[in-house]
Amino acid sequence: MTDCYDEFNLEDYADVEPLPIVTGLKDELCQIMYSEEYKQLMGLMRAFLSSNELTPRAMRLTARVIAVAPAFYTAWNYRFNIVVAIAKDRLDQEFQWLDEVTLNNPKNYQIWSYRQALVENLGQDLTLRGDLPIMDMMLDDDTKNYHVWSYRKWAVLHFKDFTHELSFVDKLIDRDVYNNSAWNHRMFYMKNVSPDDRTIDEEITYTKNKIELVPQNISSWNYLRGLYDHFKPETGHKGELLKFAGGFIDALDLNATADSAESLPEIESSYALEFLASEYATEGQLQRAKNAYQCLALKYDPIRGSFWNYKITTLEA
Amino acid sequence: MVNVSRGNWPMDQGQRKLVKFLERHLGLLPVTQEGNDVNKLAIVFYSLESLSALDELVCKKYHPYKSWLLKHYTTWVDADGRELGGFVGSLNLVIPGVNSLSLANTLFALVCLLTLCESYEEFENTVAPLRKPIIKFIKCCQLKSNGAFVSVLNYQSSEPSPVDHHDLRFCYIAVSILYLLGDRSISDFQRHINVGKLMEYIMAQRCDVGGFGEFGEPHAGYTSCALSALKLLGQLDQLPNTYKEETIFWLLSRQTSGEGCEFLQEGKNENYDALDHGGFQGRENKFADTCYVFWCLNSLQCLTPEWTQFTRTDLARSFLQSRTQNSVVGGFSKNDEDDPDLYHTCLAIAGLRLTEGKFNGELCIPLALSDKFRL
Ligand SMILES: [Zn+2]
Repeated sequence: MTDCYDEFNLEDYADVEPLPIVTGLKDELCQIMYSEEYKQLMGLMRAFLSSNELTPRAMRLTARVIAVAPAFYTAWNYRFNIVVAIAKDRLDQEFQWLDEVTLNNPKNYQIWSYRQALVENLGQDLTLRGDLPIMDMMLDDDTKNYHVWSYRKWAVLHFKDFTHELSFVDKLIDRDVYNNSAWNHRMFYMKNVSPDDRTIDEEITYTKNKIELVPQNISSWNYLRGLYDHFKPETGHKGELLKFAGGFIDALDLNATADSAESLPEIESSYALEFLASEYATEGQLQRAKNAYQCLALKYDPIRGSFWNYKITTLEA
Repeated sequence: MVNVSRGNWPMDQGQRKLVKFLERHLGLLPVTQEGNDVNKLAIVFYSLESLSALDELVCKKYHPYKSWLLKHYTTWVDADGRELGGFVGSLNLVIPGVNSLSLANTLFALVCLLTLCESYEEFENTVAPLRKPIIKFIKCCQLKSNGAFVSVLNYQSSEPSPVDHHDLRFCYIAVSILYLLGDRSISDFQRHINVGKLMEYIMAQRCDVGGFGEFGEPHAGYTSCALSALKLLGQLDQLPNTYKEETIFWLLSRQTSGEGCEFLQEGKNENYDALDHGGFQGRENKFADTCYVFWCLNSLQCLTPEWTQFTRTDLARSFLQSRTQNSVVGGFSKNDEDDPDLYHTCLAIAGLRLTEGKFNGELCIPLALSDKFRL
């Protein structure tokens, strides 16, 4: 008696009449030179899908087909039905199999929605712990993989377990302070754990330190501004934050109107300047705001020059 | 701002190579393409759409393949006797008793039909018998829980597949198919799908800094899908003005620069390359990538008719033409290092044509086609 998770062996299918694949049509585009193995596998798979046999050998066939054609959505759907029918008490093994497929197909998104389906429909006894190793491994290998981050956030919300997230993003930000996904995950975490004022103040200090490390980093600036917008809306961005941003544009005099790039000094961060410009604009310090936009257009961010000039016209209106 | 002296893309050596590159993908494919068998119509779509955008006479040359393409249309009758219809990515997915209809491949096939049909009447006559079953299929792809769309149904029923993803791509594809099949006004769409629920889902994908994405991380691809869908639905005015402005700024900020303060990242940010000057990235602090020129510029054109004045389309064009086009084989790659591939070639051509005002971005087809078929 062979099992769901044994190796695929053609002999187990000797009694099956395959449903041969379609090849060699007249006026056909993109004709693929299929291998004999593919023809055989697909012929079997089509026959099994048609009869909807929910057996261990059908499950072994799906594993083989998915290894050859991971984008074959019907094969995943079929496998899921087989698991529900005959293997739902063996989720450990199913996840083990899935982890292996995942490691072999890092860019495929099907693996994550399949995982989600298993967890959602069959995983009453599971915890986030079971998902951590594969997610950590995948993000260690590709630290900005959008599908993995999305799945991670879904899983954290599903299991309502936020205990691993902060130390995890700490590690990733330490490794690459420019990792936007990690900063984004940090904000996702903060929004979901309802932090107290002290925690937010500590976050602000943490983020300022990261900005001081590399001031020209959009991700840490967005995070800092997000902290204020989300957790300190009443205080606005005033006072200490203006001073903090001002520290990166020391040499620049925003009371003077610049006329050429050459006359302007070096600064450390265009994001600091842009932040100051938008704050001055909302505070009604229009001349300083205009000067700041002018400097961005002339020297600090010339590729968006026409946009900065447009900002100036909105202040004049 | 736009470098007009460069003008439109010349019919030169480069274009001839490019056409050859694309035509090769429509011919006999090596065994290494087996993994793409189930989405073969994607290959056909990227190739025909690209050739059409290059003003090649696709209709004349490939019209004989129309009947082969139509063989990919298949129907499935559910337990209640409803007939659902749609296209599958490969004839190998036409399997008795199995529902393998695919939303993405249905859109690919319909756009291919646009490139192959000689006239509006021919297209109308071709899709008329398919319209109702396809609309029923689309309706089944919408999730009751949150209004989003999946791309395939359960192979044994007309319920959404339990193992499929739902996201803005599939929402866009559903809306785009309905548009191609004749839905124009909000009440047209409302007759076929739950527009209110869909709008709720799209709006929930907005991100704090502008743009759209999953769980708050904006992504230029999803942003383009969301804005194109809203534009086709005629619902862009549902976005608050401040949000539109933030999104425009977020999109403009995705153009990577080798100048000014951005250059301070050189040698520090491992995803920064000053030589990618003028290209577009899909997310903050990522390398520029060919396909995001289109996704970002298309998002911008959805939001403002003045988009060409706000962004350096001339630099985006030279990023594509001088940096990611492969001078030997003609195709485009995602960056200056990888091998050219069909997807990035198609998106590069779309991006270039968009900057020339010759592309219908929200439908993702050449303007000549949307004009010809009154879309
Ligand atoms: Zn790309």
